[in-house]
Order: sequence, then structure tokens, then C-alpha cells
Amino acid sequence: MTRFVGRLVLAAAALAASTALATAGTTTGPNGETAVPAASVTLTPEQEAKIREGHYTAGLAWHTPSDYTAAVDRGAKDEFERLGIEVVAESDAGFDPAKQKNDVETMMAKKPTIILSLPVDPDTAAEVYRPALEAGTKVAFVDNAPKGFVQGTDYVTIVSDDLFQMGEKAADAMAAAIGGKGKVGYLFHDANFYVTNQRDGAFKETIETRYPDIEIVAEMGLADPAKAEDVINAFMLKNPDLDAVYVTWAEPAEFVLAALRNNGDDHTRIVTLDLSEPLALDMVKDGNVAAIVADEAYAIGQTLARAAAASLVGEKLEPFYAVDAIAVTKDNIEDGWFKSLHREPPASLTGG
Amino acid sequence: MSAAAAVPASAPPVLGLHNIRKEFGGVVAIEDFSLDVRAGEVVALVGDNGAGKSTLIKIICGVYPPTAGRILIDGGDVRFSDPSESQARGIQVVYQDLALAERQPVYMNLFLGREATTGPFRRLDRKRMIRESEELVHGLDVRIPSARSTIRDLSGGQRQGVAIARATHWASKLVLMDEPTAALGVAETQKVEKIIRGLRERNLAVLVISHSLDQVFRISDRICVLRRGVQVGVRNTRETTNNEIVSMITGLQ
Amino acid sequence: MAGKLAQLRSVDPSQYIVYVGFVLILIGFSIVLRDDGFLTTRNLLNIVQQTTPVTIMAVGMVFVLTAGEIDLSIGPIVAVSALLASLVLRESFWPLGAAVGLLAGAAIGAVNGVLVAYVRLPSFLVTLATMGFLSGVARWITDLQSVPITNDTFNAIFGAGSLFGVPSLLIWTVAIVLVGHFFYHETRYGAHVHAIGDSAHSARAVGIKVDRVRFSVMVLSGVAAGLAGLLYAGRLHGARYTLGETDLLTVIAAVIVGGTRLNGGVGTIFGALIGSLLMGLLNNGLILMGLSVSEQLMVRGLIILAAIALTLREARR
Repeated sequence: MTRFVGRLVLAAAALAASTALATAGTTTGPNGETAVPAASVTLTPEQEAKIREGHYTAGLAWHTPSDYTAAVDRGAKDEFERLGIEVVAESDAGFDPAKQKNDVETMMAKKPTIILSLPVDPDTAAEVYRPALEAGTKVAFVDNAPKGFVQGTDYVTIVSDDLFQMGEKAADAMAAAIGGKGKVGYLFHDANFYVTNQRDGAFKETIETRYPDIEIVAEMGLADPAKAEDVINAFMLKNPDLDAVYVTWAEPAEFVLAALRNNGDDHTRIVTLDLSEPLALDMVKDGNVAAIVADEAYAIGQTLARAAAASLVGEKLEPFYAVDAIAVTKDNIEDGWFKSLHREPPASLTGG
Repeated sequence: MSAAAAVPASAPPVLGLHNIRKEFGGVVAIEDFSLDVRAGEVVALVGDNGAGKSTLIKIICGVYPPTAGRILIDGGDVRFSDPSESQARGIQVVYQDLALAERQPVYMNLFLGREATTGPFRRLDRKRMIRESEELVHGLDVRIPSARSTIRDLSGGQRQGVAIARATHWASKLVLMDEPTAALGVAETQKVEKIIRGLRERNLAVLVISHSLDQVFRISDRICVLRRGVQVGVRNTRETTNNEIVSMITGLQ
Repeated sequence: MAGKLAQLRSVDPSQYIVYVGFVLILIGFSIVLRDDGFLTTRNLLNIVQQTTPVTIMAVGMVFVLTAGEIDLSIGPIVAVSALLASLVLRESFWPLGAAVGLLAGAAIGAVNGVLVAYVRLPSFLVTLATMGFLSGVARWITDLQSVPITNDTFNAIFGAGSLFGVPSLLIWTVAIVLVGHFFYHETRYGAHVHAIGDSAHSARAVGIKVDRVRFSVMVLSGVAAGLAGLLYAGRLHGARYTLGETDLLTVIAAVIVGGTRLNGGVGTIFGALIGSLLMGLLNNGLILMGLSVSEQLMVRGLIILAAIALTLREARR
């Protein structure tokens, strides 16, 4: 949960710079860049050999610790290891842009060839990465780039998750869970955050265009995550006979699950985004949760590392790459969990 | 008593207390207390525990305002709202708890609130404070390892010595002492009594609280007895007896 | 002879142990990281510059702790001051922006001071409450938005500029530490701060205006945090509501490791500087050692614990 709430805070700052919000059918970057599939970043064996010969080094300057950061971190490190690039420094800013600036400055003492980072505050981040730029270090970002930086000259690229695909897959998973027809509820994030807006919008659009027999009969916005529980209790009380509910992310979905359990409701299915152990546990025990859609966080790190390495051998890169999303259900829980976080799922989900 | 005799009889008393009354939330602690203390005179204040002796000292130096009554210094009315005002008039107190800053060195305690400074930036003149402290402590025959020692590292007697040295150094008129020898051994007590006699020779007025009647008879010129907040009488030390004072304190004839 | 011995004995070990620890860790890193750019002038200068805001808040905190109080609200004061300064800088010239930042710190410190000294509430609770309130204010001022600063003069004075080749953050560190040391150790005011933290009752009995001194240390701490806010804003060319959020514990750790007592009466400014540099040294060295983030946190925690254990254990007799 820290992962998502954390990124909400980041998104708040990103908003200032972001001009393009959800557009139909595609994911766009913070500045309206078109998303290119992450899988398209590839290296030829010759390029890889050349990179290995370079004995390059890398620093990783993350924003805050979480499941998500850990998965991105593992993806980047594994890819660097494969390419013979040594990770010489790693840091965590704890959401503090001043700390992130210190971290990057400190890393520069080791003169890394590459720095991968998720900027805490795009508005003030230009100063954070300036020492790296001046030293000629290649910088590549997760999710967002510093305001005023130009892709291709100042930084390599941005890699993020495919927000539209996440919402779309949530809609497909819900349709599968209720047999393609029924009355459903829609709990969206009622705030101007491009991450949640794109995901929620994609879900709604997919249901409306792809599933004519599914009707959204009730919808409600969650403005303040801290007050989600009250809103959800009222919503579930007013709509007792839903076949399924879409919830904008895992934490409020946990409240929905609690409300359903209180009412003794074992009919209504839940579909939500971002992995959460309590929800997954309910899912494997055939409870209310039908599917959890996750992004391939590991692949974000992997792609980012590969893209940065590619830039060292003169490869031209697109400004914005997005990784795939996976709908995790009871049937693919081990596989899905591993694909997203590159880690075995918690023992509670596989042991029993 | 030669010094006392040198003061013209016409001079007003250094300290005049007229009909002092003090209540704490309706409870009467001091009732209609009057007393004069003259320059070069040592007056002992005696009475049982809870008789109001310490309260009276705190009223004089400005810790507590009296509920009613007048305080006169050199014949003029005063009203001290805190101890710094009484200090400015040359009044010093040796409190029962000594009022020392335990983690500070001896010299800082001796100069607490009146630190010496030097130069245009008014830097603390530590050298001077240390030097004067050593002289002072030496002069009073108080044995401490060094003026730089921290109070915490001193014995009870040494601490009492520092508190007395501070009061006697800064007083120019009146010294109030609350049980100045309570924590001391025989030899140290003798030293303090010598100090008190020295104050009288410097022509200061001294009001001292003591539980030891033997001591009171050794050092005082007059004895004032307080019983349950009421002043029951003042006697010239040379004209009274131990028995009389005891019966005044206890109220048993 | 006996006097000299007593003089030696009266020097509190907690006051110098931080220097020993600092030198040991510096030597340790110099050996381990000899090939990793640790001992370059650039890197060592980075450490001083990165710790400047913490050092300045630590100087304020030494006064507050010595006076027997605490100020938990410095973190959000940093953010509020930085945000207000950068808003003013949008419209106006830099001295006004800087003045507004400092005044914001002073005003918040004055509110803390009135509540502590005159309403007589415990500073722990007062500043706990103002910390929460100000965190809200910092979020509310710009509705979570960052404010960029484009004034080059401001950014040079409070950030990456230099004077005769000396980086301005280094100048700020040296200036504030020297001024702080002077007032703390060399003036009557400093002596009174010590006295009221040692025994407020005794200080009052000798005529020190205890309430006034208490009030003043809270204002001082507010101004120090306000200045720290300006320095962060100058360094980042902008302000954000999260600035300073994580600094409180670093500042307190720096001050305590430096030999200042949590319960008042004893402290040192130079020790706080060394404590602050030690914190920066640890951040820097542990990152350069290539440790993972979890390892960095664990090692740093253990070293700080060891330093505090040494400082406080030696102090108790």
C-alpha cells in the first residue's frame, strides 16, 4: 500500500507539469508522450558485447522504499548484471527532494556512467540531476522527468506502467468473473491524479464499449483515501445486490471486502488494482475477490536499465515506454505475483 | 557589638516589616508580623516546622507578594515583584535548597545572574570570574577543589559554602539565611557562624532562620519567635534564656 | 597541581567523545573507500554543504535543549518558510523573500515561545501540536504544489553560489556555528540559557528572567529552521511541502551525539556541528560503499546507537 499511496503523492506534484490526461484507448506519459511497449527495447548480441567491454557503472537513486521500488530495483540490478554493468551506489530519498539531491551528489563521487531514478518532485528535480548531467552521466527515469529536461539530450527515457492496459484488464477480468453480464458498481478515485484517472477511465470505457450486457448501476468517487471506509460502507448499504464492484486500488478494496463480509455477502465479486496480500488471500480461498490487476514493476527496472545501456552504444530511444499489466487471479497467482514483483508470493497464498 | 553601636540611633532600620499578612488560597500562613532589622545586627528567626519562617523570607526577597502589610527598606516602602528587584537593593538570600545550578561550575554559580563581561562584544570574562571566585571562596575558608569544579561534584558542605559565598559577596545591605548550617558538620558549622559574625562586622543586617537554639544564642543579637504564622515576641539575646525561647516556640508556659 | 587535576576531571567526556568517533569513522571510510572518490575535496565539500541546514537547526536545538525545552516543530517550519519565501520571490526581489522566510520562522517560534514560557505548557506537547498544525499549513499554502525559484541571486546566496571561491553553504555553516558558539558560550545570555535548563528555580532565585529566556530560545530555534528552509529552497531552486519532514530526528541525533544533554544545562555548539557532519558522513560513506538501502539504514542506526551509548554512558556518574 505504501507503494501506491506514495505514488499518489508523487502524482500530485507531477500534475503541475502534466498537460495530457486520460485519452481514449491509450496510455500517455506525463507530458503527453505516446506509450511504446517496453518489450520493444532490445539489444543485439553485438551491442551487448560492446556494453560489457565498456565496464560501465550505475547508481540507483530511488524515491521511497516499497514492494514496488524493490521490484523495480531487482529488475534493474538483474539487467545490469546481465550486461556486465556494476551497480556502485544505491540510495533512497524517503520522499525528500533535498535528500535525493544529496544522494545524487554523493553518488557522483563514484562517477557512474548511468543513474536510474524516480524523481521525488519533478518541479525541483532539475537541480537534483544537474551534477549528473554536467558530468555526462546518462540518466533514465521511472514515471516522470524533471521539469525543463529534454528527452534525448538531458535524459534517456521514461519507463512507466501501462495505465490504460491496467484498467482494461480489470474490466476483462470482471467480465470473466461474472459471465459477461450483470450489474456492477464502480468506485473511482475522485481526484486529479493522472495515474488513477487513466486506470479508472480505461476500466469504465472498456466495460461500456466491450461488454454491452454489463451495466454500471452505481458509481461513487473516493476523494480522501483516509475516509474511504465510511464512503464504502454507505455505498455497499445502498447497493446490496451488485454482481461485482471495481475498486480504484487495493487499500479501499480491503474496506469493500470488510463491508461485504459484514453483510454476509458471498455473491458480489471484487476487482481491483495493485497486489495486496489480504485481498489475494481472500481470492485463493474463493472469497469475494475475483482478480487483482498488477503492473510488471520488475520489467520497469529491467527496461530502464536496458534502455540506459542502449543509449551508451548510441541507440536512439523513444521518450516513453510502458510495461504490460497482468490480471492476477486464483489460477495464476504464483506466476502473476512473480511477473509483477519478481518474487514468490507470500507463503499464506501458496501454502494452503 | 561594637559595629552596631557605630550606627546612629536615628538611622531607619535596614529592613522594616509592618503588619505583614500572607494567605495561600484562604489559608493564613503569616498573620500580622512586624519586625525591624538594623544594620550590623543579626536577628534569628525561630519557630517550629510550618511556623511560616521560610514563607517570610520569600516575602521579603520578592518571591511571594504579601497579602497585606508594608515592607520598608531604609525607611522607604518597597514592593518587589521578583528576587532580581530585591537583589538590586542589596538584599541576598541563602535559600534552604541553596538555589544552585548543579551542572554549572562554581564560578558561574557565584556570578549567576551577574556575570562579568569584558570588551566591546560583552564577552563573559571567565578569567576574572574564576579569579574572584577563588579569592572569595578562599576568604571564606570554604574548601573546594577549584572554582571550575561542577557543583554536582561537591559535598553538601561545599555546596552550602558556595551558596553562602554568593550571598555574602553580593549583599550590600541585608542577608537572609534559611537554615544555612542544616547540612553541615561541626567544623563547617563553626565556619559559617564565623562568616555570619563577619557580615555583622561589615555592618550588614542579617536575618537567619535556625533550628539550633545553641547556635542562635551564639550568633544573634535578637531572637524573634514565630508560632503558626503569628509573631509571639522578640527578645534581646543577652537578656533571655533558652527556656524562655523554648516556651515561646511551643506555647507551653 | 591538584587544581590542574580537578580541572581535567571536570571536563565531561561526553563533550569530546564525538570528536574521537568522528575521526575514527572518517579514517575508516578513508581506508575502505580510498578508490571510490570519498577523499576528494569535491566529496568532502559535498558533505559539509549537504549538512548545512541540519547543522543550522542543530545550533538552534542546542540552545533549546540546554534551556530544558525541546522543539519538535522545526521540520514543518522549514517547509512553511521555504514555501512562503519562494511565493514572495515570484513577485518581488530576493531580500524580501529571504526576510519573509526568516520572519515566518521567528513568528512560529514566537507562538511556541509564548505557549511554553508564558502560558507555561510543556514544550514537548506544544511543539508536537504545532508540528502537526504546520504540516497541514505547508500542504495547504500551495495545495501540495511545488514552487520554483528563478531568482539567481537568491539561489546563489542560499544555494550553489560562492564568494571568493568559497561555497556559500560552507560560509553559512561556519558563520552560524561561530555566531551560535559565541552566544552560547561567551555571553551572559548563553550563561542564562544554561542556568534555566539546569535549574529554572535556582535561575529565578538569582534574578534571571526565566520566562524571557525560554521564550527567546523557541524563537531562536524557529529562526534557525526558517534559515534552513531558505537554504533548502536555494539549493533546489524551489520549495516543496515535504522539505524538512525527515530532519527532526537527524537534528536531535546530531545534537545528542555531539554531547548536548536532552535534559538541559549542558551542551556544545561545536559538538553539534561535528554530530551533524557525522550524520552526513554516514549517509555519504554508506552510499559510496555500495550498500543496499536496507543495509545503509541498519548500519547507520547501529552507529548512531553506539555513539549515543558512548556519549550518555560516559556522562552518567
